[in-house]
Amino acid sequence: MNFLSIRDVSKVYERRGVPMLAVDSVNLTVAHDELVCLLGVSGCGKSTLLQVVAGLEDPTEGEVLIDGCLVSGQTHPEASVVFQEHGLFPWMTVVDNIAFNLKARGTKRDERQRIAAEFIALVGLTGFETRYPHELSGGMRQRVGIARAMTTRPKLLLMDEPFGALDAQTRAIMQTELLRVLETHPSAVLFVTHGVDEAILLADRVVIMSPRPGRIRKIMDIDLPRPRDPTSAEFTALVRAVLDEIHDDISLLAKQ
Amino acid sequence: MVSMPEAISAPSAQPSAGTRQKALPKTRPLSSSALLGLIPIVLLLIAWELATRSGSYSSVLLPSPMAVATVFVHDWSDLARHTGASVLRVVIGVSIAFVTATPLGLLIGRFPVLDRIMDWSVQIFRSFPIIALIPLAILFFGIGDRPAIILIWIAAFWPLLISTIFAVKNVERTLMKAAKVANASNALILRDILLPSALPSILTGLRLAIGAGWLTVVTAEMMAVRSGLGYLIMYAQVIFRPDLIIAGILIIGAIGLMFDQCVRVARKRLCRWQEGLVLES
Repeated sequence: MNFLSIRDVSKVYERRGVPMLAVDSVNLTVAHDELVCLLGVSGCGKSTLLQVVAGLEDPTEGEVLIDGCLVSGQTHPEASVVFQEHGLFPWMTVVDNIAFNLKARGTKRDERQRIAAEFIALVGLTGFETRYPHELSGGMRQRVGIARAMTTRPKLLLMDEPFGALDAQTRAIMQTELLRVLETHPSAVLFVTHGVDEAILLADRVVIMSPRPGRIRKIMDIDLPRPRDPTSAEFTALVRAVLDEIHDDISLLAKQ
Repeated sequence: MVSMPEAISAPSAQPSAGTRQKALPKTRPLSSSALLGLIPIVLLLIAWELATRSGSYSSVLLPSPMAVATVFVHDWSDLARHTGASVLRVVIGVSIAFVTATPLGLLIGRFPVLDRIMDWSVQIFRSFPIIALIPLAILFFGIGDRPAIILIWIAAFWPLLISTIFAVKNVERTLMKAAKVANASNALILRDILLPSALPSILTGLRLAIGAGWLTVVTAEMMAVRSGLGYLIMYAQVIFRPDLIIAGILIIGAIGLMFDQCVRVARKRLCRWQEGLVLES
């Protein structure tokens, strides 16, 4: 049973009066407990597609269904979004940031605090409740972002290059952390990334997108058992296969 | 980590470890002492004293610093009464401006259609010099507190409104997206996102507003009221008391400084989250 269906979605942007086809007739489904990575070079429309699924942008054509409901103009209540680290409110403490999505739903204060505390413990931020985001490291900020998204117990997690701004070591830690959190709170995940390793490490399926216009080039199933070892032969073979697939896009990007 | 070319330009290492650094023992450098602000004032006092001693100005027209100091002793009750009257008017006028301009600014900044409706009017009305409105205010409201407070309200309204609108329009887009995906209501967005995010800028607007209000009260009191520092100064001219005029001017400056410091302190308290984010608030 598909939880998320993207049907013939196209998105046209106007840039200085010139229409640009950012996403071109994309069809994609994500099952209940599936982690799908959208992978591609910049400008391939992967982030735009995520914004459409999140209800932040309306598709020019086509439709997005979450749990059978048409997404239009607002975020589906079963979905949560994790942004790059800049998505935290700098004037709110860690606990207030994490409780914000619940507050927006009208959850009572006591209940908010209780749930926030639970997720603070889950992502390992105990002791940092009253800190402000800029007092945290990049990795900790992303923990806050993930915790905030999880508090509403979403059935679909939309992640827009969440670890893109982190250094390599922190990113590796956060990838493991994400998988651990998903074990206790399973949900469908649509994860946008430009990291080939990251996609293969996390995904059940990798959706490779190519730019101008943004469309799906190939979908690869990743059947490696977890935990995956990025240094194993199977893993590196997959990395090579993906790189071969996007080689043209990379050289195109390099020429610009 | 094999990444696509996009990652090449991605910002590298974040500061690691979330633990707060231990504060080094503070030896305040001279350059950060608040007392540095006294230097120009002391120099001016010395120049003033020298000017009176040189004898090139009649001491009747230019009283010495000492002569002005004695005014504060002899006439302190008059000075206090008039100062109190002026300060009260400014506090009331600016407070009314704050509670009207800030919500309006939040709404205009939030809803582009309101911005389009209001933009021209804001630009037109804020261009009116307050002095030009005094005669009208006297005609409409007579002589007394009412015209003065209304003029202060008008003068303080625009800087607050404009800085609020500006701040709201400059809220980071990612933050608005984060609020939107949480399906936050408009009321929650205004109160929990736009207001706190705009607050530093609003308080800067408040500093400007108090300055404008303080200028206005003195001007208005010279024409529309029979009390306050503006009135005192005009009256001192009539009875030929330059020492009293200068005393009044000094009080105006001192109170201006005091107001400004109050807002700074308020800003430090209210925008504690900015500590370490900005150079200086």
